[in-house]
This record gives sequence, C-alpha cells and structure tokens, in this order.
Amino acid sequence: MDFLNQNLLTVLILLPVVGAVLLLGHQMFWKQEGQLKWLTLGFTLLNFVVSLALFSKSAVAGASGFFFEQNVPWITAINTNYHVGIDGISFWLVVLTTFIMPIAVLSTWHAVEKRATAFYIFLLLLESAMIGVFVSLDLLVFYLFFEASLVPMFFLIGIWGGANRIYAAVKFFIFTAMGSLLMLVAIIALYYIYADQTGLGGSFDLVAILNAMNAGNVVLAPQTGMLLFLAFAIAFAIKVPLFPFHTWLPDAHTEAPTAGSVILAAILLKMGTYGLMRFNFALFPDQSRETAWIFITLAIIGIIYGALVAMVQPDVKRLVAYSSVAHMGFVILGMFSFTGMGMQGALYQMLNHGISTGALFLLVGFIYERRHTREITEFGGLANIMPIYATIFVITTMSSIGLPFLNGFVGEFLIMVGMFQSHALDTVRLLGWNWNYVATMLAGTGVIFAAVYMLWMVQRVFFGKVTNEKNRTLLDLSWREIGLMVPLLALMVYMGVFPKPFLARSEASIKALQERVTHQAGGTIEQADAKTELENR
Amino acid sequence: MTENNLLSLIIFAPLAGAVINWLIGGKLKNEMFSGIVACGAIAVSTIVAFMIAFGIGTSHPGALFVPEGKPILDHIWTWIQVGGFRADFGLGMDRLSGIYACFVTFVGLLIHIFATGYMKGDPGFYRFFAYLNLFMFAMLTLVLADNFLLMFVGWEGVGLCSYLLIGFYIKRNEAREAAKKAFVMNRIGDWGVLIGIFLIFTLTGSISFFDKAVDGQQVQSVFTFVTQNMAADPFTWGAIFAGGLTSAAVLLFIGATGKSAQIPLLTWLPDAMAGPTPVSALIHAATMVTAGVYLVVRSNAIYQFAPTAMWIIAVIGAATAIFAATIAIAQNDIKKVLAYSTVSQLGFMFLAAGVGAFVVAIFHVMTHAFFKALLVLGSGSVIHGMHHEQDMRKMGNLRKHMPITFVTMVMGWLAICGIPIWAGFFSKDEILYKTFAADNYFPGGPFPGNEILWVVATLTAVLTAIYMTRMMVMTFWGTERFHDALPDEGHADADHVTLHHHEAHDTAHDDHDEEEHHHPLPADFKPHESPWSMTVPLIALAILSTVGGLIGIPYAMSSLAGAGDINVFEHTLEPVIAGAGHGADVHSVPNAPAGAVQTPAPAKAAYDSHSPEVIAKERLLALLSVVLAVIGIAIGWFLFRNNPLRKMPKILEQKWRLDEFYNGYIVDPITNLSRNGLWKGFDVGFVDGIVNGIGNFVIEFGGIARRLQVGFVRSYAAIILLGALAVVGYFIYYGFKLVV
Repeated sequence: MDFLNQNLLTVLILLPVVGAVLLLGHQMFWKQEGQLKWLTLGFTLLNFVVSLALFSKSAVAGASGFFFEQNVPWITAINTNYHVGIDGISFWLVVLTTFIMPIAVLSTWHAVEKRATAFYIFLLLLESAMIGVFVSLDLLVFYLFFEASLVPMFFLIGIWGGANRIYAAVKFFIFTAMGSLLMLVAIIALYYIYADQTGLGGSFDLVAILNAMNAGNVVLAPQTGMLLFLAFAIAFAIKVPLFPFHTWLPDAHTEAPTAGSVILAAILLKMGTYGLMRFNFALFPDQSRETAWIFITLAIIGIIYGALVAMVQPDVKRLVAYSSVAHMGFVILGMFSFTGMGMQGALYQMLNHGISTGALFLLVGFIYERRHTREITEFGGLANIMPIYATIFVITTMSSIGLPFLNGFVGEFLIMVGMFQSHALDTVRLLGWNWNYVATMLAGTGVIFAAVYMLWMVQRVFFGKVTNEKNRTLLDLSWREIGLMVPLLALMVYMGVFPKPFLARSEASIKALQERVTHQAGGTIEQADAKTELENR
Repeated sequence: MTENNLLSLIIFAPLAGAVINWLIGGKLKNEMFSGIVACGAIAVSTIVAFMIAFGIGTSHPGALFVPEGKPILDHIWTWIQVGGFRADFGLGMDRLSGIYACFVTFVGLLIHIFATGYMKGDPGFYRFFAYLNLFMFAMLTLVLADNFLLMFVGWEGVGLCSYLLIGFYIKRNEAREAAKKAFVMNRIGDWGVLIGIFLIFTLTGSISFFDKAVDGQQVQSVFTFVTQNMAADPFTWGAIFAGGLTSAAVLLFIGATGKSAQIPLLTWLPDAMAGPTPVSALIHAATMVTAGVYLVVRSNAIYQFAPTAMWIIAVIGAATAIFAATIAIAQNDIKKVLAYSTVSQLGFMFLAAGVGAFVVAIFHVMTHAFFKALLVLGSGSVIHGMHHEQDMRKMGNLRKHMPITFVTMVMGWLAICGIPIWAGFFSKDEILYKTFAADNYFPGGPFPGNEILWVVATLTAVLTAIYMTRMMVMTFWGTERFHDALPDEGHADADHVTLHHHEAHDTAHDDHDEEEHHHPLPADFKPHESPWSMTVPLIALAILSTVGGLIGIPYAMSSLAGAGDINVFEHTLEPVIAGAGHGADVHSVPNAPAGAVQTPAPAKAAYDSHSPEVIAKERLLALLSVVLAVIGIAIGWFLFRNNPLRKMPKILEQKWRLDEFYNGYIVDPITNLSRNGLWKGFDVGFVDGIVNGIGNFVIEFGGIARRLQVGFVRSYAAIILLGALAVVGYFIYYGFKLVV
C-alpha cells in the first residue's frame, strides 16, 4: 500500500502503457483480435479503480498544496525533474479521465473494423498522456505529455475516422501543434530567465519558479511577461478552443470515431482550460488580469457564436461539436471572472461538459452505427421506434442545456453569478456601464440559444411521425449501450443535486489560485477602490 | 422558527408517484394501477398541504394563521454553498405559499381524477401520469421553495413538464412545434429571472425568502434586508438600467412575462393547447401560468420600492388583457378561445399587482384557477363527447346531449363574466376598483395615470363577457352542426384522407393511438355525456367557482348585507405584503434619500379606509361592472345566438399576425445570419480559407515527399514521428551537451 501511495500518479500514467505493451505482445503471439477490447477495458477499469485511491488524501479540507507529489531528477543536465503531483483542480480532471476511458472503450465494441490492435494501443497511450498532462508539475514534462497526447488522437482521427478524416486530422494537428510550439519557446525562455535572475541555473519546475516569483527572486518585465503569457495562452486557447481558433473542432469531432470524439470532448479540450488555470494564472497573474477583457469578450462571442452556428447544422455530430464551443466559452468566462464562485463553476463546468457532451457523442455514435448517417433530415419520429434511446437522449440534452437539478445548471449558475460579482472588467470604462453585468447578461443569452438548438434538433430527430422508412427497423439500445450510459446519467443527476462534495474538494485549491491571481504583489485588483470610483462617476 | 418535516412530503409524494409510474407503470401498462398511483400521490400532497396550512393535527398553528405571516420551514439539505453564497434545498410555507399549495394540490387532484377518464385507452397512459405527477412536484417546489434559486428549479421544472406534456402526442407536428416554442419562450423569460437573482444576491447578499437559521448560521431574507436597509428607487426610466431594485424587479418580471404569457412572450400559450386537455387545464390555465404572479407577489417588498417596474407591470398587464381578449373573440377552436381568455385574465392579475393590489392579484389567481380549470375541463368533456372535434363551428345544441357539462360550464361562464356571487365577480371587481382607486399611485412620473388602465380593464371585462357568451352559444345553443362542412375545410380534409391511408399501414394499435385526427363523424353520431370520473371534478369545480369568491368579499359589499369586515382572504394575506398589515409604513424608510420620489402605497390606503365616500365609490363601480357584464353577455347573445357562424374580422382571427411578425423579423433573420453569415461565411469561408490556404501550400510542398511513400496515413505518421523524435532528440542532445 505504501508503494502505491508514494507512486500513485506514476502508476496511473504507466498502467495504460503496460497495457499497450501487453496488447502488442498479445497480438504478436496469439493473433486473436477479439480479446483486445477486453484487455483494454480491463486496463482502463483497473486504472479507474486505482485512481479512486486519490480520494484518500486530497480530501483533506482546507489544504491547497499538492498531494501525491513525486520529484525525481530526470535529465539533471538541464535540471529537468520528473515532478508530478495533484491538487484539488487536477484531481477531478484525473478522475474524469480514468472514468471516461472505460466508457469510451466500451463504445468501440463493434465499431472498430480494421487494425484493432493499433486502435486500442493508441487509446491506452492517449490515456497515459492525458493523465500525464494533468499531473505534471515540471514545464518540460508537461510539454512532452501535452504533445504526446496529440499523436494518438491524430491517428485515431486519421485512420479510423469518417470520409473526410485526413483533412480533419491534419487540421487538428496543424492547429494544436502550432500553438504548442509557441508554448515550447515560452517554456525555454522561462528556463533562461530563471537561470539569469536567480543565478541557480535554469529550472523547468513550476513550483520552484512560483516560489522564486513569490520571493521576488524572479520578476518578469511587463513586456516579457506579456509575450510569455500570450505564448502559453494561445496554445491553450486553441486547445479549448476559444473563438476564433475553433474551426478545427467541428471537423475533428465529425470525422473522429465515437471513442475519439468522446475523449476529445470530455478530456482533451480540458487540457486547454486546465493549462490556462495552472500555468497562465499562476505564472502570469498580472497579465491574466490585464487581458481578462479579451478572454471574456472572446468567451462571450464563443458562447453566442457557437450556439447560433450549432442551430443551423444539418449534422447532429457537428451540432454537438459547435455546442462544445459554446460550453467551453462558459468555462473561460468563469475562470476569468477571478471570483471564487466563477472559478469553482468553471472547474465544475469542465467536469459537466465532459460528462454531458461525452454522453451526447456516445448517443450520436449509437445512431450512426445503426444508420451510418447523422443528417438530421434522415431521421424523424425516432421516439416511436427507439423509446429508451429517446429518453436517454432527452435527459442528456436537458443536462447539456443546464436544467436545474442536472449537472449543467450548477456550473453555469456559478459561472454567471461569479461573473456578475466579478471586478475583472472594472477597468473597462466604456459608456460608464458596469461591464461585468453586461458580460453576464450576454452570456446568459447563451442559455436561451442552447435550448433552441438542442430542442430543435431533438424535435426533428425524435418527435413527429416516422418519415423515413429506413428507420422503421432500427433496434433500440442494447444492454451494453444502456450500461455505458447509466453511469453518465447517474452522475448528471448526482452532480446536479449534490454538488457540495465535488465543490468542497476543489475549494481550497481554487481559493489559493484565486488569491494568487488577484492579489499578486503590485497588481492587486483594488476592488474597493474600483467600486468607489465607479460610484463617484 | 417553526419546523415541520411533513412539508417535504407535499413535494416528494408526487415525485414518488412519477417515478413509480415511470418504472413500474411502464411495465404493467395497467390504467387502474397508474391512475391510482398518480391520484393517490396527489391526494397525499393535498391532505398534508391542508393539514399544515390549517394546522390540523400539527403541533403548531396552521401556516395560514401563524402571526405576522411567519413561515413553517423544512430544511432538507444544503444544495450549493460556495463562499458567501448558499442555496438550500429548503421549503417554507407561509400564508402566500400556503394558499398556493392548497389550491394547486386540490385543483390538481380534481384534474388528475378527470384525466383518468379523459385519457382512457391512450397507450401512453402511464407516461402521461408520470409527467403530470412530475409537474406537480415541480410546481409545488416552485411554490414552497424558501429561496429564489430553488424556486427557479421549480420554475424550470414546470417548464420542462410543460414541454413534455404539450408534446405528449409526439406524432402530431403541431404538438412538437408548440412544445419547443413554449420551452424557448419560457427560456427567454428565465434569462430575466436568472439575471434578476444574480442582481438580488449582489444587492442583498442573500437569496432566501425567509429569515432563518441553518447549520447554526443566521440567514437573512432578501425582503427583510430590502425593507430595512434600502431606499425606494425614483420613478424614472433611468432606474430600470441603474442596477438597483428597479432593475431587479424588471428582470424578474421578464421571467413572469414568459411563464405567464404576457406581452411580448405570449404566443406560446395558445399553441400549448395542442397538449391533452387535462394538461391545458392544470398547467396552462390553473397553476403554472400563474407562477409569474406568484413571483411578483412574493417579491412585493422589492416591487414596492420600484415604482417604474410597478408601472410597467400594470401597463403590460392591461395591454395583454385587452389584446388577448380581442383575439379570443374571433377564434373557432374552443380551446383557443379559452387559451386567449387565460392570457387575458393573467393580464388582469398583473394589472392588480402593478397597482399595488397584491392580495387581489392572488385572489384572482385562486378564483381563476377554479373557473378556468372548470371551463377547460368542460371543454375537454365537450371534445371527448364530440369525438375529438374542437371546432365550435361543428358543435351546437350540446346542452341537450351533455347536461352536466352544460350546467357546470354555465357556472364557469357566469364566474368569468363577473356576475355577482360567482367567484370571478369579487376578484375581478376588486381589480377594477383598485385600479381606479390607485390615482396617487404613479405620482409625478412621466407616464399616464391609472384612469386609462381602468378604462382598458373595464373594456376588457365587457369583451370577456362577449367572447365567453359567443363560446357558450356556439357550443351549447343553436342548431346541431355536427356534419356541416366548413368553408375552409375542403383542403384540410383532403390532407386528412391521404394521411389516413398512410397511417393505415401502421401497426394496428396506432389507429387508436392518439387523438391525432378526429375521424369524420358517422351519420348517426350523437354526442354523449362524459363518465363520472370526468363529471365529478366538473361539479366540484363548479361549486368552487360559484361560492369560492365568498371568502374575499370586500367590506363595501359585505356591509350592504349588514355584515362587518368579513374579507378573510385579504386579512390572511396582508402580513405577507411588506408594509401592509402590521403597521410598518413603507414610506418611512429610515435612510430614504431626501428628494427621492415618494413610494406609493395605494393598497394600504385602500385597505384601511372604510370612509363613506370610499365605500360609496366602490359600490358604484361594482354596480357599473355588473351592468357592463350583463351588457356584454347581451351583446354576445344577440350577435351570435341566431348567427353563430358570424364572420369575424380577419386580423383578429389571425391573432394580429404576431407569430408571422416574430418569425419574419426575428427568427428568420437570426437563422439566416447564422447559416450564411457565421457558419458558411466566417467559419468555412474565412477562417478555414486561411487555414486551408496554408494547408494547400504545405501539401503542394509535401507532394514531392509523398511520392516516396505508399499511402497517405503512413506518410503523415512518418512525418509526425520524425518531428516528435527531432524535438525529443534535440532536448536529449542538449541535455547531454550540458553534461559533457
């Protein structure tokens, strides 16, 4: 047990790799593809079970530091350490990853027709890379994991995707790789700045750099800080994706196989928002505040834009993809409100989006496997033929559009109430309005549009008469399909009704981060002053 | 602070009923089982609601009698708690929610019983009752919630159930359209409620309705904070955008216009009649649509400090009332008439709230629940008897065939027209009087006074009598027109026939599936009276519509008969209205800024003064409204008795073309912009154009390299692998170099 406790995160990263190696060996010696999915499922489930051990420690209330920390020298020459650890923020993302993976694997049961070995190996490698991203506390290690997660996804889309898969895969790769190269430059720059200012030699260690900054040993010149901030921010904004970097997403989602779409939506996009929180907020609090208005503006455009474009999509999967743009806009909005509520809501919404949108992609996958089309006009009246499918779909839809007592509502509510109370836009003096209010009100319209596009789609696909004879013979969901939806549905309800335990676990870490980003020396948001100024005008 | 854990039973019994019907009822497909579970669940709610409200068998006085209108609370769990924000899952029954809970459960019970007869033979019987119980859960949560956010849960919940129930006949296209429209329009309103709640929390630091202690923490109510620490807003346009109480009040009212179908968000309610008739009665006449009134009255402490918002409410209410009444007069679908009538009556309620007569607004909510539920259920009985024919032009002389339905509906008719002693008289007359008497209500503002509102409301009352008489005459008097062809029916019939042939291929039970299309009536068709399960609720509601108003007789009337002040209803609710009842004066807010426009308190003045002039005026106005009601009935009778198919103005029949306006000027432009501007223009054209430009360049460049490889994928794989190796290799190399 002690071994596990000390190496828990490493075990989580390595287990899927071990699985991948086993798969390779299995394929070489037995050549029976039928067992591969069972093996993969076994490993992802095992990883989920192991990840539950995380609950033992990070439950400590009021503690905001890192748990399960492990710091082993890696390339001593450039002072790179294999430094991992989790706090209340990354904790939930790791658990989300290990939770979604078995479900994604189950969804592929009959879907992979070619090169199953490679497919499952990529899935496992992807899991390992994603967990690595969320637990790395060393910038270089983080970067390597960040890039490593790109490669399996590229192949998942490019080999097992739809008709237009090559275009989508390349687009996905070009967009995200472009951003992360900028980040690499910034990481290296930070390394040298650290070396210069401390005289201790360079460091990629996030904790070390933060400590040096806190102690005043490392001070970034405003311009340098802004450039570094932007390099990180663009990499993450593309990943989120933030408007106008979002156009890779609909293509990638539409072409990816179901499991790929689920993982992409549920976890990969979170790497962007997580990165902004972990690195941009912590390393560059001043710049984060200065540019908040840009991010809030783009987030709001994304919310409304994503919803409007989703509304007119003829393809269900593309519609869900655009809805992701809108949902992730909410996450960005909450983060950049710099309020405890908004940031808690943002984290909560990351989990919600993973569950709800993941579930939507699964559901779209079910119908695609049956009909090999996702055109809305091909359907109609499905509720008469597939009542269970329709019921689950409608519940998921309600979760996605934020109906109270389902998970989406809690997140969206906290984000909006956080933005409403925020002072992030107090510096915007235009017209003398309180732009925090205006931002919230605009974001709130996204809630209306979400109802429009989702319900319109549901109405055209499920209700009315059966208009297409091809749909008459469709089978309702199998037990496997119901089984993999049930945990998601249960979480939608549970997270909507009892959000407290979820929020409590991340409260301390969020609070620490919020304090860091708002009260950094020399750059406090002078809340009181700003307010008086507003009133005096 | 009084606690009673039984409160949660009121909301959870229907939830349990819904779950049981969904899980077990769906398997059993037994109508008896589903009906008993659903009605039993509501019966439990009803009994507990009455017990707690009246203090029957409880250790504390009933919620309607607790001094100072304090609530009976039940904290169930803490829902969301982040920083200073807390939203409990907690219930509270004070006098206002007590009245609401009682009539919602009781009318709900009657409608559930009615529905067991009406929905007989429907394959979705269990599903229907599961939804209906779920609705009751949401509605009672809305009413009994002890804070704004939980109320919003119920608020969205009733919207969802409304969506599910309007779209209950999933095969009907107009039903699914109507369901979506209802949900979306409600969502537009919800936006207002949500932002309103944010603002209220920001202003007061609380979202609780009541002062209470939870987990050893004192929670102050929004309203206590407002009355004790805040000043009234001035009566100006600017106040709406100032981010103060007026803004919050207006935002909440936006929500109310959605839920209660007021201008401009009214068009969903008439369409919602595509749902089964018991749903129309329960949700779209008696309970859910009055949620907006509840919200306004619940927040009256805020509204009393927001004169601009009050003015807006009064004007929107009056305008909606007359607007909907003019449409109701020209509709031929019996349920459409009643739907517009509901919109119109809701307008009356808002008018009352807008002139500060909050108690009267709730009084009208209650009497309206009785007589409108009666009328809609009665129309359901008619439709049932007519084999799902809803067009009044094909009815006539039904009083001979459906005597019980006829007599009960006459009671509803008299009640809504405002004939004395019937319930509608007292409440509607009070509204007219309070509007007239509120002459000091909008002092010094830039807006016209209350006289115009009164004239509009009085005109509406006459119109109400006319359209209701028209409906009664077309349905119950005149010649039997069951087999007459209608002028505009030829085309529709052709459609029907083809549909029918198509449907014939469906499985056998599909034929009996839904009240999808009325079959052409057989030649020997005779309408039949409905079974007891439908007539008994009608009779019960008819009795309530007749005598239900007697609990709220104003002093001016009761003194006529020599009785004292027996306005029980008003005295019960007074403590809930901030500033009324317990002597505190709204005007004398301690820190009211000097020079602020005086806060209105018309209701207060009207309540307490029993001076002879005031009483004389009230009596005179009451007489006038009775005379006008009679004149309205007479007009309706003479216009339509002998000529029931009288052609009505086209523009009214087309509902002032409001839907066409919305579609043409709002929906279509947004859709076009999204499709052609944003998606195909910006995303595909602009952003992707740039990316593809770069991409094409790269591909051209890579074209040379590609020839060296066999397939697409492998070449990309190789390139990426090389790239990745280069990056990793660079660092390893760099690392080694530093070492060496």
